[in-house]
Amino acid sequence: MMKKNTITGAICLVLALAIATVTGINFIELKNPGDIIPGPGVSEVHMLSEYFDGIAGTNGDTEIYVMQGKKPGGKVLILGGTHGNEPSGYMSAITFIENAVVDEGTVYVIPYTNRSGMTHNDAQEASPQYIHFSNKDGAVRTFRYGSRATNPIDQWPDPDVYVHAASGQTLSGSETRNINRAYPGVENGNLTEKVAYAITQMIKAENVNLTFDLHEASPEYPVINATVSHEKGMSVASVGLMELQFAGISMALEPSPVNLHGLTHRELGDYTDTIPLLMETANASQGRLRGATNEALALTGIDKAYEKSAELGMLYVPYDENGHPIEERVGRHLQGIIEYTKSYSEQYADAPVSFSNVPGYAELFTDSDGSDLGGARLGQYLN
Amino acid sequence: MSHELIIFLAMVVTFAAGCFALKLPVSISMVLSAVIGALVGGQGIPLRHLVEGTFSYVDTVLVITCAMIFMKVVQESGALDALASLIIEKFHKVPALLLCLIMLVIMFPGMITGSSTAAVLSAGSIMAPVLMLMGIPALETASIIAMGGLLGMIAPPVNIPAMIIGGGIDIPYVGFELPLTLLTFPLAIFTVLLFGYKYVKKLDYEAIKLKLNNEPREKYGFRIFIPILLALVLMVLNKAVPSFPSLGMPLIFLIGAAVGLFTGNKIKVVTVCKDAVQSVLPVLGILMGVGMFIQVMTLTGVRGFIVTSCLSLPNGLLYVAMAVAIPLFGAVSSYGAASVLGVPFLLAFMSSNQIITASAISLIAALGDMMPPTALAGIFAAQVVGMKKYTPVLKKCLIPALVLIVWAILFIIFANQLAPFIVLK
Repeated sequence: MMKKNTITGAICLVLALAIATVTGINFIELKNPGDIIPGPGVSEVHMLSEYFDGIAGTNGDTEIYVMQGKKPGGKVLILGGTHGNEPSGYMSAITFIENAVVDEGTVYVIPYTNRSGMTHNDAQEASPQYIHFSNKDGAVRTFRYGSRATNPIDQWPDPDVYVHAASGQTLSGSETRNINRAYPGVENGNLTEKVAYAITQMIKAENVNLTFDLHEASPEYPVINATVSHEKGMSVASVGLMELQFAGISMALEPSPVNLHGLTHRELGDYTDTIPLLMETANASQGRLRGATNEALALTGIDKAYEKSAELGMLYVPYDENGHPIEERVGRHLQGIIEYTKSYSEQYADAPVSFSNVPGYAELFTDSDGSDLGGARLGQYLN
Repeated sequence: MSHELIIFLAMVVTFAAGCFALKLPVSISMVLSAVIGALVGGQGIPLRHLVEGTFSYVDTVLVITCAMIFMKVVQESGALDALASLIIEKFHKVPALLLCLIMLVIMFPGMITGSSTAAVLSAGSIMAPVLMLMGIPALETASIIAMGGLLGMIAPPVNIPAMIIGGGIDIPYVGFELPLTLLTFPLAIFTVLLFGYKYVKKLDYEAIKLKLNNEPREKYGFRIFIPILLALVLMVLNKAVPSFPSLGMPLIFLIGAAVGLFTGNKIKVVTVCKDAVQSVLPVLGILMGVGMFIQVMTLTGVRGFIVTSCLSLPNGLLYVAMAVAIPLFGAVSSYGAASVLGVPFLLAFMSSNQIITASAISLIAALGDMMPPTALAGIFAAQVVGMKKYTPVLKKCLIPALVLIVWAILFIIFANQLAPFIVLK
């Protein structure tokens, strides 16, 4: 009997080790969030740690793509990948890097703002690990689908309660690893707070005038298809918003709540001179009402569970059998960046920023007959 | 029949067959049901998903294991006997007040950590001998401890489910104190008096005195209580002085256990640790199985199917759906239920005051810790009073659980009327 138990135990142990090895290798492979092939507009690539060496050598350090215009002007920062499970955020930033040519001023793009969050997936969310696109040459480009929060390998454990350092606001302990609850950051804080601090330092050092933070939200979340603006950005946002409405994009303008701390649109506005704007699009693959979770859902948004929820009146965006493809979501973000930057440049004529060759909502979405939506069309704008 | 329903039924049937027909452990049955769900859902055997799902519970596993080691050390050192004799000696003349005080002590670790398991395994295990010496039967004692753990987890200042639900729609955790106090403390008093008062109203101290073990108190004096007091201080320290780093529950329990080795009776460290791990191993296995189960549900769309089915009920039935679905889903994890179902239900009741509604939903979510197969509060409450099966505890707690649901629903219905008086920002 004893011998039998030993044999059973040994078999279980070997099996467990084999599974741990296979899945461990798979986990290590997630380290690369996806290579970016800079377009003609990129003049330099820096690391965020150049603004705060406290994150040098960590998984929080991340690339900054600098796109210098021919003429001097203002400065714009685009933050993609604040949340790794919101693919239109970082895919918009990457599409910008690979296509845009800056004419006036300087544009800084950080495609993977919380780089650590790109290197894992949230337990029990069953997220796809990768999203794929065929580029204009037919080659397959692979990008990670990440997590809302910093990888626990880089920052663990979470406290019971997360206390936002600057305001004392308390949130659930898991929010400790959410960079969009960590601004303006803490110099000697945890990794997430340090990365937020580095971004704040970068904005201050470069005198960034206008900052975009690109997000997605679940379709049942009230703030969706919306721009959230700090009070000092309202005039820029309201003019830009009208242009977006003229372009056929339904967009709400929400003021940044003064009692919700740690977010870009509140803290970067309060602690730096930049005008922060945060944009949200509808992403079914992060929602609570979603059906089967896979790459197709992340790229097409087609989901009968969300169609049913729409019929029940539970959503804050229209939802039908066409879903919300990645081209629509990236198109909204890029068109938003175009219109809000124009609006800023008109109102702050002494420091204008202008750029060209960025695909907008029409090129990416409305000009399509629908057959190439869900990744194929966006791939045509990738190098 | 929808594909998701077929997958779900396949998972449930596999689980039931594993538990009842094949007599497999609950944990193995959960793993099998996750594998079958993935196969029926056309996902093959998704190793990555099966492993990833378990990682939700890494922290919980550490808390449970370390809390059990702490509990065993405190028990072996003689500290439990010492505390029981002290409390009964001081308060035997006011039994109702004594019961309420004991309930508060049971709730306390839950109030400051947001975990019912921490409450049941620490203060619950410390108070169990006190309650039983007072004449309360083991079943009623376990029920008091289980409900105390649940209510402690929801009572302010720290309520993780409310933070999760509020965070889902970006409500900061501000103004929740009074609603949570009113939701939990009346229920705590009701529960402890319901289960305990009839046994203690005529407390015969002289008879009890003979059963008390005063030896550890007399032999070691104050120092016997040091591990308990130290754990308590470390739990509170970070909350009172936020600049003091949060040590985390596992480390706090281990520090308490380490100190306990030197403050009372001699303890065989390896034996105590081995016993502790052995006694929690089935629960840890269940948590792993549940992690796989829920990940496969999400992967295959079963999770969304369940959530949308609940929310598609007509308005009046929405309360019933919430009262049934959230605790049922809580069988997987009360925090998981708060996130997956609590947030959509809060959105469904959007016209009611959100702070009160989120608080009330968090109260219902706590019942998940009494729902088999995980039933963490029930299992550990039964364990600390020495019961072999935990199902009688769950049955006994049915009445306070129903009262709790009605109480929470009343708060949601009258949320807007209550808000001006109890939501202080």
